Order: sequence, then C-alpha cells, then structure tokens
Amino acid sequence: MAACALAIALVGLGFWTLIRRRNVIWKLLGLNVAAGGAILFLVAIAHRPGAHPAIVGLGPGPTADPLPHALVLTAIVIHFATLALSLVYVIVLTERRHSQDVHKLEEDR
Amino acid sequence: MKWAAPMAVLGIVVLVAVGTWSLFPRPEVPPWEEATAVWGAENAVAAIVLGARLWDTLFEILVYAMAMVGVRLVLRPLWRTGSVPPLAETPLLRRAADVLLGPIVVFSVYLAASGHLGPGGGFPAGALLGSGLLLLALAKGADRLGGELHEPALERGEYGAIALLLAVGGGVLFFGWKGGSLCVGLNFLIAVEVAIGAWVVLHQFTRTRGEV
Repeated sequence: MAACALAIALVGLGFWTLIRRRNVIWKLLGLNVAAGGAILFLVAIAHRPGAHPAIVGLGPGPTADPLPHALVLTAIVIHFATLALSLVYVIVLTERRHSQDVHKLEEDR
Repeated sequence: MKWAAPMAVLGIVVLVAVGTWSLFPRPEVPPWEEATAVWGAENAVAAIVLGARLWDTLFEILVYAMAMVGVRLVLRPLWRTGSVPPLAETPLLRRAADVLLGPIVVFSVYLAASGHLGPGGGFPAGALLGSGLLLLALAKGADRLGGELHEPALERGEYGAIALLLAVGGGVLFFGWKGGSLCVGLNFLIAVEVAIGAWVVLHQFTRTRGEV
C-alpha cells in the first residue's frame, strides 16, 4: 500500500517536472522519474503479504505474481533505449540551435 | 492557463489512485509451477519472458536494436575529430577495474547461464556486462578502449545475435521447441545484445562530448 502511494507520488512528480520545466533535459529526467514510479507500481501490485519470488523450490507459502515482474523487465529495457535515443536528439538540438529551452526553441526557427 | 498543467497532473494522479484502489483485494496468483515446468524453467519470470510471452521479448529486443541503430546513425556525423576535451583519469578507478572486472564478467555469465533456474536472466546479465564495460572505459579512458574494441566486429556481433535470437525464437514460436537449454541460449543471446547496445550508447555519447 505504501509502495503504491509512493509510486503514484513519483508518477505525479515526474509528470509535473515533464510539464512545468522548460529545459528539455529536465523534461527527460521527469519522464525518467515517472517511469521509475510506473516500475515501482508494477512491483508493488505483484506483492502479496509474506510472499516469496515465483521460483520453484523456495518452499511453501504464497508467491508473488510473476507477470508484473516480467512486464517490469520489458519496461526497464525499453525505457533505457528510448531515453538514450531522446538524449541523442537533445544533443543534435543543442548542436544545431544552441539552446535547450523549449520556449526559445519554439520561438526562433 | 497557468493552472492547466498542475490540474492535468492532479487528474492523472487521481485517476491512477482510483485505478489502484480498484485493484484491492489483489487477485489470486494462478498455479504457475506446472506452466513453468513446461518451458523447462524453474523461474516463473523466465518462463514468461522466454516462453509464454516470447513475442513480447523478441519485439522488445528489436525495439532496443532499432534505438541503438538510431543512436549510431544520428551521432556519427557529429563526432568531433580534433578538439575533444580529455576525460579525467584516477588511480582509484584503475585499481577498482583491476579488481572488479573479472568478477563482473564471471557473474554476468553466471546470471545468463542460470537465469531460468533462479534470479537472473539475459537482461540483467547484459546490463551487468555493460556496466563492466563502463567501469573499464572510466579506468582506461573511453577513447583508448574504443580504439581497442573493433567497432565493425561489435556491430556484426550485435546483428548476428539478433539474427540468431530471431531464429531460435522462431523455432520456439512456430515449431514448439521447449527446454532448459533453449532458455540458456536465448538468455546468452539477449545478454550479448544488451551489452553491445550499452557499449554503443556509452561510446557514442563519449565521442560526442564537448562544449556547446
């Protein structure tokens, strides 16, 4: 429950940064924080009270839901790849326009 | 207008909170032991990633490879030829690389080889190997390491790993191949792919550094 609340707070904080900041790199950082919140949310909803990971031979008792864990794997890798690609475009933008401010980039084209 | 963005954020957060609330009580975990054993694995996450949701994993690898191709294609025209500011070198990092690089490589091979039996798998192994390369680059200097690692050979290795991955994945998807050794092979190919991709990002980003 606390982890779910923290995840929602992280997503809110990330979206806030994504929308309110004017620097492109800060926007990407906000997206990064929001993605971290999403990953934490998936891990949190996989949890059961007193559970152990879904691996054979860890003894009786409740196990965590393995499907959100698999989704987290996808989320982390894709997030890394897209973040690298978007940072590349920030590099190109900085080379060509010498600015990372969104308002400035939109004004003088 | 000034309050539009905060209201949007608040709306999203409230939506997510309501959605979360409807998740409780959480559903029962289905019996996963038999389904895991069918794929020749003991780790249910590995059975999902390499078995039941293999389409997902294959296209994830393709998205990853496409992103790395994009990084390469977009950044290569921007490589600075002459005046690249040098990276700082410290003896601390050099000693750390001496001590840690061997265990990092061995542990990443172990993670890839045992990912279907316990915690681990191809993606953590590749990320670990990429972090080892990052440590080596910090200790030796990224430019020197980039000169020593043969870039076209790495590129060929990456595309070869993708081709093999698609071939083995096609066997699993269309011919019904199953078993633990297939999981190990897929995990190793994924690890190679992820590690080379991480090295591509690291190398391209350090080659384009400099003042604006």
